[in-house]
Amino acid sequence: MAHYFEFNNVSYSKNNEHILTNVSFSIPRQGDTVAILGPSGIGKTTILKCISGVRKIDQGTIQLKNKILHDSHTYIDPEQRNIALSFQDNALFPHYTVEENIRFGIQKSLFCSKNKNGPLKYSMEDLLELFFVPELKNKYPHEISTGQAQRVGLVRSIIHNPDLLLLDEPFANLDQNLKDKAQKNLKEILKSTGITTILVTHDKYEAFYLSDYCGILLQGGIVQFDSPYNIHHIPNSKEVVEFFNRGVLIPVEVVSDDTLFNKDLGEIKGKLVKKYEKGEQVNLLIQPEDLEHDDSSTLKFEVIDKKFRGTNLIYTLQTPSALQLPVFVHSHHEHLHAEQEKFGIKQPIFIDHLVCF
Amino acid sequence: MHTFKINYWFLSSLFISCFVCIPLIVIGISLFQDVSGYYQLLGETYVYTYIANTLLVLTGVLVLTFIFGVGAAYLTSFYQFPGSTFFTWALILSFAVPSYIYAYSLTAFFGYFGNLYSFLNYLFGPSDYHTLIPKVDGLLGSILSMSFSLFIYVYLITRASFIYQSQNLVDAGKIMGFSNYQTFKKIIFPSARPGIVVGLSLVAMESISDFGTVSFFNIQTLTTAIYDSWIIFDDIATAYQLSFFLIVIVLIFFWLERMSRSRSKFYMPTRGYEAINKIQLQGTSAAYATTFCLLLFTCSFLFPISQILLWVIQFPDNIHLAQLIELSVNTVSIVILTTLCLIVLAFFTNYGMRISKSKFLNAVTNFSVSGYVIPGVILAVTLLSFLSFVSKLANSNWIHFLFSGSIIGLVIAYCVRFYSLAINGIKSGYEKLNTNLDDASYLLGYTKFGTFIKIHLPFLQPNLLLIAMLVAIDILKELPITLILRPFNFETFATQAYTFASQDMLEHAAGPSLFLIIFSAIFILLSKKYILKGF
Repeated sequence: MAHYFEFNNVSYSKNNEHILTNVSFSIPRQGDTVAILGPSGIGKTTILKCISGVRKIDQGTIQLKNKILHDSHTYIDPEQRNIALSFQDNALFPHYTVEENIRFGIQKSLFCSKNKNGPLKYSMEDLLELFFVPELKNKYPHEISTGQAQRVGLVRSIIHNPDLLLLDEPFANLDQNLKDKAQKNLKEILKSTGITTILVTHDKYEAFYLSDYCGILLQGGIVQFDSPYNIHHIPNSKEVVEFFNRGVLIPVEVVSDDTLFNKDLGEIKGKLVKKYEKGEQVNLLIQPEDLEHDDSSTLKFEVIDKKFRGTNLIYTLQTPSALQLPVFVHSHHEHLHAEQEKFGIKQPIFIDHLVCF
Repeated sequence: MHTFKINYWFLSSLFISCFVCIPLIVIGISLFQDVSGYYQLLGETYVYTYIANTLLVLTGVLVLTFIFGVGAAYLTSFYQFPGSTFFTWALILSFAVPSYIYAYSLTAFFGYFGNLYSFLNYLFGPSDYHTLIPKVDGLLGSILSMSFSLFIYVYLITRASFIYQSQNLVDAGKIMGFSNYQTFKKIIFPSARPGIVVGLSLVAMESISDFGTVSFFNIQTLTTAIYDSWIIFDDIATAYQLSFFLIVIVLIFFWLERMSRSRSKFYMPTRGYEAINKIQLQGTSAAYATTFCLLLFTCSFLFPISQILLWVIQFPDNIHLAQLIELSVNTVSIVILTTLCLIVLAFFTNYGMRISKSKFLNAVTNFSVSGYVIPGVILAVTLLSFLSFVSKLANSNWIHFLFSGSIIGLVIAYCVRFYSLAINGIKSGYEKLNTNLDDASYLLGYTKFGTFIKIHLPFLQPNLLLIAMLVAIDILKELPITLILRPFNFETFATQAYTFASQDMLEHAAGPSLFLIIFSAIFILLSKKYILKGF
């Protein structure tokens, strides 16, 4: 059965520069939220603009609810698509107040034939309240801050009750505290209204929290499309590992179906994600939470760096063959280890998913 | 992969471009044609005089407008003194007085048995004062008239580059130990220099193209020579040969203006801009500043308007209500018609450039806006001869009838001359309107047309008003195009005043002149807020 939304082999170029080349992903069910993660300038915003129809693609197919929006024969104008986009730079009309800006959207979308979803169950006042900007209704865009303007833009796009909601870095200009609250409310709104959403962000925690699926957009297109859990624990390529910049690759030899060997760490047990031949030399991904600290262990390495992250500490250990291993420790751990001190690793080493490349 | 659609946006720019081409092509071709006997005679005798006169007037006007314009801009941007706020906007009223009307008032005041003579007579009893009163006519008169009516270009653009400088720059200079004078010399003046050059180039182009003033003072320059060889000697070949020289001089300043405009963009404020803190002047320095501005305001605006008012009061019989009503109707209707055409064309083109992002359209438009460089005299003369050429070619007279000596021809010529004003006015508004806003509007369910009506039009309202006012003032004051292309017996304030003045009936010119200034002043006051930001 066809998916709710499909973005198939889409290419887009501007001024002869290829921005998207054969990019594909899809949203299986209505009501799902998909996050597109990727470095700056890779084309995340362009994907949203192509979906909304304000950029015309060079080739490929974009399909929503079994209806072709854009392919080599068809192009549906943006105003006919019932897709809402919340712009990163908010795109509020400077000569209208906040309320007029929001109503500007409602007027057209709810009273024209294209929207069969009916009005949203949240009113404008509810939404402004939920995004902590209830008092701004009569202000003009130049009288409010960037972060506030962005949330007003978000309200303007949600209130449509669209078939597909596109969010471009919706909370990029907020402090962490407000961001957490706003994310929680957004998630609640999306789940209770069942609005299908594509979210573009470079904040992986935002992506993991809000989405059902994550797509990692790198130079070669969407390189991995999976659940947040799998994206985090079972990255499918070195490029994805590098993008998250979390963990190191160490050389190991495959001993059996569930055992690897490294000359500094010794035996490492766990479930191999991919099958390898016995004796094969591969690289194993070690993430900070994979190794456990144990003061009584005989396997000790030198601490060369320590990062305090509030709830936890990440130690970097140096092995005799100059590997640098990150180890995660709860920050209430009874005693702290200074740099150049020896630090014990619990044996035998067991890692849930052995991800090798 | 997408079907190619004809972009209707091209048409308006293409249309104007064609008319901009006409003078250039006609003059270009004429260079290869045989010259008439009259031209040979001229070549041996007067051509160099014409060029020399043109350059003399130009030099005088540039020096004076620099002093007036930069001086006034410097004082009003950086200092506070009695009347400074008033002068900031009041000085732009001089924009309402065309230089040829200024020339009439100079003659009325300083002329034989003129107002100064009567005034002295009245004060000190009869005597032969006229031997003592200096003559302000000829070259001096032309230079003064043009300087007082054109310095406003330098004032406005220089002022804009002064006020957009950040206080941070001035403070940085102070921290490095610069005195006020050094700060001006090393920081403020250099960064405003491109702006000043733009202003002076505009003055130069206006002054070279001037016809009314030099013709009134009987100074033979290239423009009057072109007009005379066309109207009096009926020698079109000579008119073209002379036009060539004129165009070459104008193009030098056009090039200078373009270069400086692009340079001046580097000096526009960036983030962290902080408005200049004005310094309060005290004592003698305050008195000097106020005197300078007051003199400038008096000479450029109060003087001409009081002269004209004096005539109106002295010779009320010369004011014919019916005639003034007819002139008002003629002038206002041609102003409204042209302004509407220009605004529609400018919107069409700008909107087209915005949504099609076509490089070709950009290039065509860039060419078409250069119409303002072509002096009115040349534009009118070449347009007429081109039309008769086309009529002959088509062997029918209707083209000639339709365009020459008709309102249509007049409006087209105005559009070519003032297209850049309209295009750039709307463009500067559009540049402030992020294209994401268009996308947002489409996504909120509005069509392209709906977006234009609901988003673009309301946002661009101030620009629209400013353009309408500026175009209206320019058309009110425009003389040579109207004089040559107007329908038979169709008079505007400008042509009527000129006709009387050229027949030495200056008192009769007072009525139309007064009305012209009043209308222009109203337009200026309506848009002064936007004009002061610089154009």
